Formats: sequence, structure tokens, C-alpha cells
Amino acid sequence: MKTGSSKSLVTIKGTKDGLTILLDDQCSFDDLKSELKEKMTRDQHLFGNGPEVVVNVDGGYRYFNKDQEEDIRMIIEDTKTIRVGSFHSEVMSREDVKKELEESSLTTMKQIIRSGQVISVKGDVLLLGDVNPGGVIEATGNIYVLGTLKGIARAGIDGYQKAVVSASVMTPKQISIADVYFYAPERHEREENADEPLFDEPVYAYIHEEQQEVAFEKARYFHRYPSIRRTS
Amino acid sequence: MGEAIVITSGKGGVGKTTTSANIGTALALQGKHVCLIDTDIGLRNLDVVMGLENRIIYDLVDAAEGRCRVEQALIRDKRFECLHLLPAAQTEDKSALTSEQMKAIVEELKPEYDYIFIDCPAGIEQGFKNAIAGADQAIVVTTPDTSSVRDADRIVGLLEQEKIGSPKLIVNRVRTKLAQEGDVLDVDDIVQLLAIDLLGIILDDENVLKAAHQGQPIVMDPDSHASIGYRNIARRILGESVPLMALEEKKGFFAKLKSMFGLKSSS
Repeated sequence: MKTGSSKSLVTIKGTKDGLTILLDDQCSFDDLKSELKEKMTRDQHLFGNGPEVVVNVDGGYRYFNKDQEEDIRMIIEDTKTIRVGSFHSEVMSREDVKKELEESSLTTMKQIIRSGQVISVKGDVLLLGDVNPGGVIEATGNIYVLGTLKGIARAGIDGYQKAVVSASVMTPKQISIADVYFYAPERHEREENADEPLFDEPVYAYIHEEQQEVAFEKARYFHRYPSIRRTS
Repeated sequence: MGEAIVITSGKGGVGKTTTSANIGTALALQGKHVCLIDTDIGLRNLDVVMGLENRIIYDLVDAAEGRCRVEQALIRDKRFECLHLLPAAQTEDKSALTSEQMKAIVEELKPEYDYIFIDCPAGIEQGFKNAIAGADQAIVVTTPDTSSVRDADRIVGLLEQEKIGSPKLIVNRVRTKLAQEGDVLDVDDIVQLLAIDLLGIILDDENVLKAAHQGQPIVMDPDSHASIGYRNIARRILGESVPLMALEEKKGFFAKLKSMFGLKSSS
């Protein structure tokens, strides 16, 4: 009769990406925690007292909810010199999958967004139509307007700074990307004809990393923009 | 402590917003601290006429609901530092605001300004009730046509019920020639019918349209007829006695109005 398994529930492995802590995905969560705790205390010397070590955690086919993930992190990071880099599990909740799908999806709409209308989209949005002055289009991801943007566009509304706003005719009142704002000059402040669009060719707006302000670039140079897809 | 003046008319399209923008700007030109409040929730325009639409982030409803401080919702005019605009919300409707909230906001702003002009929406429903809620004084705008004057009369009645000062009248888009020929109501008829003090008249002037298109209030162009009209009104609000302009062609009329102004004192 054996009490407890001889196979260890927690394995520390060196991989090409650095140290990975593999967690057994069949045992009870409590057993896992207590073994992890034990191991971390025992093997503390392995990680040394030197500079901080970043480890990856691989939970296999076990689902970790937020609290459980936090528990694991706490146990590991209790060892002062270790920080958890990534937390990986092969299993996701339906809710998270749904969210991720939404975030990475492209919604296509065919309408004119008129004054007073606010269209809010999860993920990216492609608008086949105009945004009139007083209308608002917003998305957690990128915004592409195949038409004239005369109103307001808000991209990356959850704080995603790499989002872009692109328009065939770019003449917005306001653009915001995450929490960075661009205000177009008022009609009376414009030197040229205020009825002309702000840009005379298709452009996209993005956050200029150093200046932390909204900048514009010709749409034909879109391929130079590092990433227009959100990766989770 | 500033004075809150609502600009109302009952009927739509008679020039409440243009009047608010221009009187406000005219007083700012005189160095007065002025705040304009647009209460036309859902159909805001004052920001457009003022050319202050692009920097709006928060609005009147956000401030009323406590989603921001009132001060955060104010748009500062870069042309005059003493002129601010509190824009209406565009994505909601009149029911998004209560009279109590409006009153609280006006009370909060009053100590900071010499004058607060409240641009009222058309109609006599909630939007009107909100607009007059915080007002000490009222200016009624009408054009020289019968339906507009009827509506102005209705509004004067409602203002009297609410015990808002004695309303002052502005007759907008006056066309001297038509009035002289007796084809439309003349200013005199309107004043007699409404029996309230005349604050001024604005001649019909196509420059007003041009100015609105540029987002530049007409008072900033010193030469147009409408601009002079608005500047005169601003001076009367400041307590000066300014004679009525440009209607001399009509005999006797000028004298009559002049005597009215002689009596008028600006609250």
C-alpha cells in the first residue's frame, strides 16, 4: 500500500525559454499547492540569491480560475528572487474563449453613423460608410473606415495602445487611442478652406511611442506598422 | 456673483443659439467673464456656432450625473480666455437631466462668472423646464412672423408663472423694408403685443450664416449690421443706454423705441 504518489506533482525544468515549472494536472489542487510550497522552500538555493529569475508556469490541462492562478503565483513569488513570467494552461473557460474571440474578431458594418449615434464594438471594426459629425465609432481594437470619418473615432477603448484608426477620408473632430487624444483644429482655426478634409489622402492614426501623442501616416505605409492585430 | 440669463423662444429656428453665442461673445469682448450653457440635449448646436466642438469630451449630463467635475466639462475659448462653454450631451435626450441638477450646476458656476447664458431648446417640455430652472433673468427671442410671436407670448406667460424676472425681448431677423411696407409685423407691433421691454433688434443679415459656417460668432466682425445689433444688446445688458440703430427710415418709430430704452435698466 502506498500513500501518496512517488511521481512528483511539481517539476522544474530548464527549457530554451528559461526555467519552467510544470504542474501536475490530475491531482487535487490542495496537494499541488502543498507540494509546490514544499519544493519552493526546499529548492530555494537553486534559484540563488542573485538577480531575479523569471520562471514560466505550465499548468497542463488543469483549469485555473483567477484566485487559483493568484495562489500559485504567490507561492512561487514568495521566494524573493523569483518572478512568474507567463502562466500557461491548455484549458480556458468558455467565457474567456468568447472574450478572446470577440477581441480578435473583425466586425463589418454597413451604415452611416449619424450625429448622436454611438457604435461600440469588441475587437476590430470595418465600417463601410461615413461617420458624420456628432457620431461616434468606438472599438476595443482597430477601426477602419471605408468612407469619410467626420465625427469621432475611439480605438483601443480598453487601453490597447497599439490600436489604429484608419479612414479613406480622414477629417475627424476627435480621435482617441487608448487614453491619448487628438483634437482637430476648429473650423475658424484652419488656415486653408475649412470644408476641405484634414488629409487629402487615406491615412491612419496611431500612437507615436516616444511622443505619446496621436500621429498620422499614409495608409499606403500601413505595412510598416509593427502589429495591427492584437495578440493575447 | 454672476447672473444667469436664459435665452428662449418657444419656437425653433428663430435664433436662440445664435443670440446666445453672440451676446456671450460680445460681453467677453468687453472683458466680462461669460459661461454659455447649451441645454439642447440631443440636438446641441451652440458648440458648432461657437466653433468649439472638437475638444468636447464631457458634457452637461456628465457633469450633472457626477461622471466628471463641472469644470472638466467646460470648453475654454482660445480667442477670449474669459469665455467658456458647457456643451450639451449629444447622445442622450432631454430626460437625461432634471431641473434640480440644472439648478445645482448653475449655482456652482455663478460665483465664477459675470454672466451665464443658458441656451434653451425649442418647445415647452422638460428641456425648457431645465433651461429656466437655474435662471435669474430671461431673454425672449422672436422673429417678426406671427407664429413666432405667438410662441413668444406663450413663453412669456410660462416665464411669469415661474417668477423669472421680467423677460426682455429681442426681435431677430428684422427686415426693415418689409415692415415699412406693412407686409409683416413691425417691431412696434410685437413690443405692444408682448408688452415686455425691448432689449434690441437684429437686422436680417446674411453674414450671420457665413459666420456660423466658419464657427466664428458674427460679433467678431465689427462691421456687419447684425454684429452691431448684438454689441448694442451687450452694452444694454451692461447698463448703458444705447439707441436703436438703423430704423430711422420709419418716422416716429425710432423716437418711440428710444423712449423705451430711456426707461430700460438692465437688471
